[in-house]
Amino acid sequence: MSQRLEVRLVKRLPGFTLDVEWSAGDGVAVLFGPSGAGKTLTLQCLSGLLEPDAGRIVVGSRVLFDTAARINVPPQRRGLGYVFQGYALFPHLSVAANIGFGLRGRPRADVLRRVAEVIERMGLGGLEHRRPHEISGGQRQRVALGRALAPDPAFLLLDEPLSALDAGLRQSLREELAGILSDWHVAAVLVTHDFQEAYRLGDQIVVYEAGQVIQAAPRSELLWRPASERVAGILGIRNILRGTVVKASPDRIQLRWRGQMLEAVNSPVRSYLPEPDHSLAFFIRPEYVRLIRKDRGVADPMHHMNLLSGDIVREADFGTTFTLYFRLDAPGRPAQGDYDLEVEVPRLVYEILEIGRDRRWQLSMHRGSIQVLPGAGTSEDER
Amino acid sequence: MSPDQLSAVWLSIKVSIVATLLNAAIGIPLAYLLARRRFWGRAAVDVLVTLPLVLPPTVTGYYLIVLLGRRGVLGAPLYEATGWSVAFTWYAAVIAATVMALPLLVRTARAAIESVDPNLERAAFTLGRAEWRTALEVTLPLARNGILAGLVLAFARALGEFGATLMLAGNIPGKTQTLPLSIYTAVQTGEAGQAMALVAVLTLLSCGVVVASARLGARPL
Repeated sequence: MSQRLEVRLVKRLPGFTLDVEWSAGDGVAVLFGPSGAGKTLTLQCLSGLLEPDAGRIVVGSRVLFDTAARINVPPQRRGLGYVFQGYALFPHLSVAANIGFGLRGRPRADVLRRVAEVIERMGLGGLEHRRPHEISGGQRQRVALGRALAPDPAFLLLDEPLSALDAGLRQSLREELAGILSDWHVAAVLVTHDFQEAYRLGDQIVVYEAGQVIQAAPRSELLWRPASERVAGILGIRNILRGTVVKASPDRIQLRWRGQMLEAVNSPVRSYLPEPDHSLAFFIRPEYVRLIRKDRGVADPMHHMNLLSGDIVREADFGTTFTLYFRLDAPGRPAQGDYDLEVEVPRLVYEILEIGRDRRWQLSMHRGSIQVLPGAGTSEDER
Repeated sequence: MSPDQLSAVWLSIKVSIVATLLNAAIGIPLAYLLARRRFWGRAAVDVLVTLPLVLPPTVTGYYLIVLLGRRGVLGAPLYEATGWSVAFTWYAAVIAATVMALPLLVRTARAAIESVDPNLERAAFTLGRAEWRTALEVTLPLARNGILAGLVLAFARALGEFGATLMLAGNIPGKTQTLPLSIYTAVQTGEAGQAMALVAVLTLLSCGVVVASARLGARPL
């Protein structure tokens, strides 16, 4: 059951080159990145629908593609299941015929048994004779998964399975998909440009940008320790800033930013010791910045770490939360256009503190919520 | 109606049916190749197939004589070997009708095949189907309505074929005189009543074709 998928491929298209290398084992590997990064192209190369210019694709001990050995197994014989964007169900065939489509060549009794089994496990009983346009979106997803899983593929490839859906259905189908993937215990490679989806469904996340892999890591490591400023940017992390190192020790990093001193925790597993005066990227999660209440007396720098003060220049109302754009009391150009820091507060806090009327605040953040981004030094980061 | 005119009605129906069957055999695979494959000379094939649609039928007929006539490029060797020539036989009427009708089928069927989502074909590939099986099981069934509409158009075109038929098959009553030729002859010889009757038959057949094609278009997959 536990087979590894090893991928190394180069595919040159006009104006775009895909050049990636990664591997995946049990569970779900998510290829994540912006549109046009080469994720679907990778999937097509894996399935054999597209021939790479160079590389090697191996599932377990089976070589599917190898330019050096001149091996290129056609898609018909790769033994991989492919779930297409929009599902690509055969509209002229019934649910049962769709699910049985990949079982041709087996004895009729086996086909019938397998189709019945898949229909039962997918909860599609009673819909055998319906056409794809006569069933719901959720049922369609299950037919698409059932059709791909029926021949018992070594790996399941899923291309943006949820992208065509509206928000409500998308979330419920995402949960259903997560359930089916763990239920069937099938190794899968899933493509998405939605980080929430990647995080929810993936055990491992491979981050794509412009035809390259910029980080491959278990999902929790990716979120808390992005490998670089670029990865942080693609993950949609806000408040990615640049400061100057003052002092770095294995457990703390002191840095100067916008004329202020900030103290951050150095990563205990991957401590990073840049030289003083080095430029350094870091990020502050907007939901971890605290506003200091004015009714509790003067802020005490001993209790409030990383104390800053400034004015709200803009705000955005997202219903349950407000995003406040702060400009700090420091001379010079603000760090992010017309503001320095994005701060997110729950609506309740916004109302209790009467932020709508009061635009001047002191801010503080714990050193543990300032994340340093390694590998993004002064000059060597532009590989 | 005279016996010759009656035979013209039957000849026209026979020629149109055979020409439509030939169209299906040649035109559907051709439409698939033009829609789905990139091959050397594809543009030339495309132009060649479409040409009879834009050329005057007499010009197409002339080319057919040059190709298949007793002294034609292919016709001469055939005549020398067998003493038989296709010109001025009812086969010539079939060939003329087939060539004239082919662009209508190929263009309609090709558009229908191109509108089939290529992901459906890719899905069939990943589920183990070879390309020709995919064409038979997925692509052509999904393009069915367009292909049938193209066949109806081809039949109608074959039924009304005049110019190219006259050039290659001639206008021999009882032998190669089809319905449109028979109408022309009746008018030329001043048989107004006969012409009217033949026109009525042709109009009726054409109405049948229109009704059939409307039914096909409305049918769901």
